[in-house]
Amino acid sequence: MSEPLELSKKYQHMVTQCSRCGFCRAVCPIFDITKNWATNAGGKMVLIKEILDGKIEPSEGIAKSLLCCTTCMNCTTNCPSGVDPPEVIRATRKDMVNLGYDNMFKAMSDVIAKTGNIYGEKEKYDWGHKHERAPYVLFVGCVGTYREEESVEETINLLDILGVKFTMIDEVCCSGVLEDVGYQAHKNLAKHNIDEFHRTGVKAIITTCPYCYRVFKNHPFYNGLNLELQHITQFLAKHDFKVKTDKKVTYHDPCDLGRHAGIYEEPRQIIRKIAPNFVEPERTRENAMCCGAGGGFRGSSPKESITIARTRLRKIMEETGAEILLTECPSCLHNFRNAKLRRWNIEIYNITEFIGKLYKEMDVRKNVAA
Amino acid sequence: MNTMHEFIDIVGEDNFSDKIEDLIPYSYDASINVYRPDALIWPETADQISQIVTIANQKGIPIIPRGAGTSLSGGVLAIEGGIVIDVSKMDTIIEIKIADRYATVQPGVICDNLNKELSKHKFIFPPDPASSSVATIGGNVATNAGGIKGAKYGTTRDYVLGLEVVIPTGEIMRTGAYTMKCVSGYDLPKLFAGSEGTLGIITEVTLKINPIPLHAMTAMATFGRLEDAGHAISETMTKSNLIPSVMEILDKVTLTSIRENTPIELPECEAMILTETDGYTWHEVEAQMMVILEILKKNNPLAIKTAKEEKERMELWEARKTAYATLSRISTGVLDDVTVPISKITDLLTGIQEISQRHGLIIGTYGHAGDGNLHPQILYDSYNPEQVKKMEMVESDLFHLAVSLNGTLTGEHGIGLSKADYMGLEHDKVEIEVMKKIKKALDPNNIMNPGKMALHL
Repeated sequence: MSEPLELSKKYQHMVTQCSRCGFCRAVCPIFDITKNWATNAGGKMVLIKEILDGKIEPSEGIAKSLLCCTTCMNCTTNCPSGVDPPEVIRATRKDMVNLGYDNMFKAMSDVIAKTGNIYGEKEKYDWGHKHERAPYVLFVGCVGTYREEESVEETINLLDILGVKFTMIDEVCCSGVLEDVGYQAHKNLAKHNIDEFHRTGVKAIITTCPYCYRVFKNHPFYNGLNLELQHITQFLAKHDFKVKTDKKVTYHDPCDLGRHAGIYEEPRQIIRKIAPNFVEPERTRENAMCCGAGGGFRGSSPKESITIARTRLRKIMEETGAEILLTECPSCLHNFRNAKLRRWNIEIYNITEFIGKLYKEMDVRKNVAA
Repeated sequence: MNTMHEFIDIVGEDNFSDKIEDLIPYSYDASINVYRPDALIWPETADQISQIVTIANQKGIPIIPRGAGTSLSGGVLAIEGGIVIDVSKMDTIIEIKIADRYATVQPGVICDNLNKELSKHKFIFPPDPASSSVATIGGNVATNAGGIKGAKYGTTRDYVLGLEVVIPTGEIMRTGAYTMKCVSGYDLPKLFAGSEGTLGIITEVTLKINPIPLHAMTAMATFGRLEDAGHAISETMTKSNLIPSVMEILDKVTLTSIRENTPIELPECEAMILTETDGYTWHEVEAQMMVILEILKKNNPLAIKTAKEEKERMELWEARKTAYATLSRISTGVLDDVTVPISKITDLLTGIQEISQRHGLIIGTYGHAGDGNLHPQILYDSYNPEQVKKMEMVESDLFHLAVSLNGTLTGEHGIGLSKADYMGLEHDKVEIEVMKKIKKALDPNNIMNPGKMALHL
């Protein structure tokens, strides 16, 4: 058996480097709703420090407490001491699992291994678009496939309208999320996806999910991919669209797309083409607040996750007065839609879904006129 | 029924914790002290706090009030165990009354959030601690927080008009007034400001607010000798016939750490002065700055640069605000806040350098030189007993130096635990006795933040 806390020890210097200045309190989506210092990055650095210094013993409670982080990296971006708390927390979560503390994600790991998706769904909708040869493959991920199907449908519709030649594969979960919650990605699933990509002979992969994008780009299991990789916003940024909306539109930067992948400009390039009345929220780009869905937090604390999404959505509405909130992440989309109160006068879409919808409306108008 | 259940009945289960994973983080603040409380409570009303304190007073349970916990002196730590009362959930801005120039807030309101709301009315609460993005107003009052604008705009105490406080017996007291002036009885709001939670829990604060100066201009001057920077500061504060809104100094160690750890471009030099003038017309702001620039020029600067553009100015102030945390990237640090009369600032600067060399520990120094308040940050390896001992000797020497220069142990961080042993160095026996009598009169059972400010010794 490996040494206890082996992974966390690699980050001892970072834990010591935390000056407890508390600046992370201002940007943490979980602290924002709990006001409990223990749920914040600085609090967790202290907790991990005491474990590493041998002052306290790891426990089930500590393992659960360490799940209170969406790994949104807002603390990292704003840490003047140069600490990367999500990186440290991920390592300690793994140590906790190795020490035998089941942090409730073992079941998810098993389900992913068994069914190839995070929800354990046995059947999935067939989107068609299975071609033997195409320049691009569209990868839509678990949340898109099983929870935000309408969004995926509109995205496919848009790509068809734009004349993009693409294929879809028999995709399985990238399984990267397991690395966030104490477990490891499944190599056989990665191999399945890689084999599928190569089988189609495509030159590039387009992902709608920024998390899958990150995993394909950074996880060693995908080292053999050797294919161009684009998030759908990068792919569409160079396209022109024949539709526009007069409505007031705003944009939420998904953490996985923004702080994790550094993609801020492309979504805005697309939005400016279709929405002249575009307005930024106060906390945006590198400082955008998280929707509360990431890092396994939606799974471990569903109620709080929705509260965070509701808080973010309410702020965006107050600050911008927008009628349309766009984002480009199935998880953000899913959390916001679940969090939206019926009486709130705002519609929420992925960018691609929204453009697809505008095209559809234009067609309807044309047909009526004809 | 045990006491913890009584507390849960008052605030609800969601607002109480005695889980170790919650208690550990609350064993720390930004100082080097560590003391674990027995339980944590997040009250939502003054009435809840009153009920909790009443029980604690009857049973002799220590109560430790806490805001954002950015304290640098151990002031929010449970040295005798007990209950931490975290007021972060009491974060409502109750009233902004521009017509009468005051704002009333709950103690958990974040300093920057108050200023964001005030700015909509072109008003400001001027004290500006580096932690303003997270520091709570309750904590600011309890520690009499200062900041970079102290020389011209004073500290939190100067803005406290009125308070609502739960005193150690559990009674709720309203003190002060909504007026700009008030000599009606003892000035209790001013006593509670800076009392470090030893006299009660602040549950509401009425603050004087100022109109925002419409214009500001920043200048940066670099020096090859620390003494030249020190003289420039003393001269500006005493001979210019004006008070700059800011007069900050950063030494070589601090500048190097900021330069190496942030994208901010800073010059290589022994010391840098950052100064700002503000006012209601450009003419006024520029005229003041011209006077200061003349003084800076007379003191052998390497370079002088002015910044009028907001972005350029903000970048320089950002550099200053990150000093503490960027220095901590080098190693663990103890941050002090010794303060001396302005004419002694050069002696303090050179004295700190001498102490650093004598003990062989790196000290990064920066601070609000315009009001004589410096922040020497002692860098050491907290896992090395020899270095820990050296750090303690350095700190002792710093305090002796400050007091020998007619200064004080602490300009704005407070005594807390870190400086409690040195109270006798600065205060005579009679004064300490008076402080103890005040404490005893209000808190006969010594339950309110016990062990702080040497009031128990």
